[in-house]
Amino acid sequence: MTRLAPDRLAALLLFAAAAATPLVVRDIFILDSVILILLWGSLSAAWNVAGGYAGQVSLGHAAFFGIGAYAAALMSARYAQSPWLGLAVGVLLSIGAGALIGYLSNRLRGPYFALSTIAFAEVLKIVASRWRGFTAGSEGVPVAFRPGFWTLGLGHVAWLYLILVVALLCYGLQVFLERSRVGYQLAGVREDEDAAEALGIATRRRKVQAVVLSAALTSMCGSLWAQYVGFVDPVHVFSIDLSVRFALNSIIGGMGTALGPFLGSVLITSLETYLRATFSGLKAGFSGIYLIIYGVVLILIVRFAPEGLTGIAGRFRAWRMRAHA
Amino acid sequence: MTRRHLAFALAVLVITLTALAAVTYGQSGEYKIGVLEPLTGPLAGEGKRHLEGFEIVRDMINERGGVMGKKLAFVVADAPDPTAAATEATRLATREGVKIITGTFSSRLCGAASEAASRQNVIYWETSCVDPRFNKRGLKSVYRTEIDATGFGWYNVEFIAKHLAPRFGKKPNELKIAFLSEDSSYGQGVTESARQRAKQEFGMQEVGSVEYYKFDTINDFTPVIVKLKQAQPDVLHHIAHTNDSILFWRQAKEQNLQVKALVHAGATGYGSPDFGKAHGNDANGVFALLEPGPGFRVEALKPDGQKIEKEFRDAVQKRTGSYPAGGHQLAGGGLWLLKVVLDRARSDDPDKFRDAVMSLDLPAGSMINGWGVKFSAEGQNSNERVQHYMLQWQNGELGTVWPEEFTTKRAKWIPLGAWDQRK
Amino acid sequence: MDPAGRLGPAQIDVLAQLSVSTVLLGSIYALVAVGLTLIFGIMRVVNFAHGEFLMLGMYLAFWSFTLWSIDPWFMLLIAIPLFFGVGLLTYVLVMRGVIHASHNVQIFTTVGLSTALQNVALVLWTGDYHVFRPWHSGVIVRLAGTAFNLSQVVAFVISVALTIALFAFMKWTHTGRVMRATAQDGEAATLMGIDTDRVYRLTFAIGIACVGVAGVLVSPLYAAYPQAGLQFVLLAYVVVVLGGLGDMVGAMLGSLIVAAVEVGGSYVFGAAWKEVLYFLLFIGVLVFRPAGLFGQRGAETLGV
Repeated sequence: MTRLAPDRLAALLLFAAAAATPLVVRDIFILDSVILILLWGSLSAAWNVAGGYAGQVSLGHAAFFGIGAYAAALMSARYAQSPWLGLAVGVLLSIGAGALIGYLSNRLRGPYFALSTIAFAEVLKIVASRWRGFTAGSEGVPVAFRPGFWTLGLGHVAWLYLILVVALLCYGLQVFLERSRVGYQLAGVREDEDAAEALGIATRRRKVQAVVLSAALTSMCGSLWAQYVGFVDPVHVFSIDLSVRFALNSIIGGMGTALGPFLGSVLITSLETYLRATFSGLKAGFSGIYLIIYGVVLILIVRFAPEGLTGIAGRFRAWRMRAHA
Repeated sequence: MTRRHLAFALAVLVITLTALAAVTYGQSGEYKIGVLEPLTGPLAGEGKRHLEGFEIVRDMINERGGVMGKKLAFVVADAPDPTAAATEATRLATREGVKIITGTFSSRLCGAASEAASRQNVIYWETSCVDPRFNKRGLKSVYRTEIDATGFGWYNVEFIAKHLAPRFGKKPNELKIAFLSEDSSYGQGVTESARQRAKQEFGMQEVGSVEYYKFDTINDFTPVIVKLKQAQPDVLHHIAHTNDSILFWRQAKEQNLQVKALVHAGATGYGSPDFGKAHGNDANGVFALLEPGPGFRVEALKPDGQKIEKEFRDAVQKRTGSYPAGGHQLAGGGLWLLKVVLDRARSDDPDKFRDAVMSLDLPAGSMINGWGVKFSAEGQNSNERVQHYMLQWQNGELGTVWPEEFTTKRAKWIPLGAWDQRK
Repeated sequence: MDPAGRLGPAQIDVLAQLSVSTVLLGSIYALVAVGLTLIFGIMRVVNFAHGEFLMLGMYLAFWSFTLWSIDPWFMLLIAIPLFFGVGLLTYVLVMRGVIHASHNVQIFTTVGLSTALQNVALVLWTGDYHVFRPWHSGVIVRLAGTAFNLSQVVAFVISVALTIALFAFMKWTHTGRVMRATAQDGEAATLMGIDTDRVYRLTFAIGIACVGVAGVLVSPLYAAYPQAGLQFVLLAYVVVVLGGLGDMVGAMLGSLIVAAVEVGGSYVFGAAWKEVLYFLLFIGVLVFRPAGLFGQRGAETLGV
């Protein structure tokens, strides 16, 4: 009988804890927090497919998020159809956008690629803001809450289980990438693209595929987010802050690992929620303090755990081995 | 990967969940409501002023015995973006257990916040955002004390057509009007509603194409000014955020842009004290639609209104050292109205609250800002009761100039004339 | 409006005004970009916090004028060593720990720094918009049908002087050559006996000094507020890429191009689209000439 590797076990426990939460806790704020942790975790996992596994660090994933959010919101608000249909449309559009970004990833490396993705998301933001006839422009799209599964009008418990399914899907995809041939090839592309090409791996194609998959998953989560929060604002859904968040969770948790994005999301989302809940209500004028703390903590975490939380484990083991040598 | 990894992950999980479990308890004998404002991020300046307005009126309310026999207290939360607004609204409603949430200043935030509040069956009392669709979502416990963007546009065009046009010697349909706006929910909402009324009701001639820009990245208005000089409008309708209004006006003076009037609406941009501080007497002549400013004839209000308006102004003066700014007035006026409702309803039960809201019918001039109250079935306080005023910058002061029955001051520099002639 | 095509006096005035504004705006962008091209070019660090140092420079100028009536042109002289010191401090406290880590780690370090600095400003000085008007910001220069501000002219002059000075420094001094060598191949530089840590420290300090000076120079022209850096930071990256990393003259030329696209694009298509235009230009240049319009081919892969 094979024992589960510790990180798989940790992931299992994490998801089990999330699943058990509604049975144990009635507090809606906690449910809301768990939903957001799982949602941001899924988005980070989606980002991780391109960023961590294929080495294509994008800072413009909000572009796909926004496409998905608008697709779902407009489908229900403008065409009175099910947001699930919007989700599907969003995924298709994001596959197209992802192919475009994938093409860019074949021409550009490292920080240049990251900057080009930022530019792409910014362009979409302005287009969404000005296209008043279709997207209602800067005024955004309010999403009405209509109870039911097909209209994604769900209670917090139902949302939690739905997002959990999505999280498991994203987690599972990452595990698949780790263990499959495609995943090994991607790892090769990530570590040394020239060497991988020399080995006969179709690096260009693999990179595009990774980005496209990443885009599709991000868009799907964006559609669900739109229905959960109930309002799509172009400045928010295409914002660089969101793009940074998706990447941040993975990097804090451990890029290129399946557990990393979720672990990072647990830490960052909780940290931010906790700091804001505790400190933001202070005397007017001191609310910024919680963000100063957040920024400094970020610097420290990245400095002392550059491989992320999952990397710390590796270092513990190395330390322990040295101590016993 | 070792078992330490497991332990570490679990530890992280436990710590963070415990952190989430931290709870703040209020003192008994207090009635808590939630206050949601952007206190960080790009809207922080105005958010802070709204919070100040809330705090000042809360103290006034508590001097009178509070609400429903208890002292009114706030649970304040920061909402820098829509996701945070939704989460914090949920937290206020569930973890903090408030039954009423107020705020949220910005149209970007109020949609998400009110949606989240409604799902928790909590009353949402909006004091500022202008999104016209806010009340059209069929949410029964969502109310707004302030007029929406359509109302802002309505008032602006009313002023231009009825007060300015005759003084230019033109009929409204002979007036040439150009539109410039910052590109956000607020700017777009007000500008589009003004455009519509200007054209459809008065037949004003729109010259040049309407220009939108993002206020956080605008560095140079020269192309816009050059085009405006070519279009030669009589009136420039400019809805601005603050840094852009400051920049635009400086460049307009440098490049000698001549318009007969500039009209803005709202507490940011030309309506912000920062604009006056930045330009001094160069700001002379600019109009901004707002709550009452200096010159306001308190005597024009009803007796109850006079009393409360004087008290409000004194309290703001004491705390900030100056006349109430737009943000103070919107928040303060909205909170006072909440007290009036709670006094009548004697309960925060959503149905009793709603009955009380619908039963209120006070004429304009009854409350802070000279407002009255009459809510529509959709929870929107009506345009006619929420009197708005046109203010003008006159030698460092943003004073009330219209409607004339409400003020001792009169508008000057109509038309604006040369830049160095506006003394 | 006159029909298009006829180049009468009105059109010439328009063209002249747009051109003058382009040049003046471009010089401001160059001030911001010159420090960034050094940092990004030599250290390959995407410094998300670059705009925040500009913002701090603006506040420095505002407070020194408001509290002690010090004119920003004089404050410049103090700002250079002050921000050089700030750059050194930031490097030692924040950047040094991650200088050998991956690009991603560096990016997120600067993200944290950016958040922290913006909110330090918010807590200390609130979100109000602070403007001050030294005598020169009210002086309007009128020249052949165009009009602009004396503060802008001085910013232009200093911007050009700074660019030339840095160019000379990089090309003809020993330290400059050492910096360029480190940019090309950090490992080889170490093998040659170059203390790369010292090079990075110096680069970062110079870069921050430049952007702090930029903040002081633009302060009479724009309001100071915690998020003021956002007005310039993304387009500074566009400029740096267009001009070629580490290339001073490229930064100046790139700034002019971005300014021209902004001003011309706003005039033709409307102010809403200016960013779209320069971002599309940005992506286009990245795809077809990643070393920048003026850089050496292949230079973009160095050190990445």
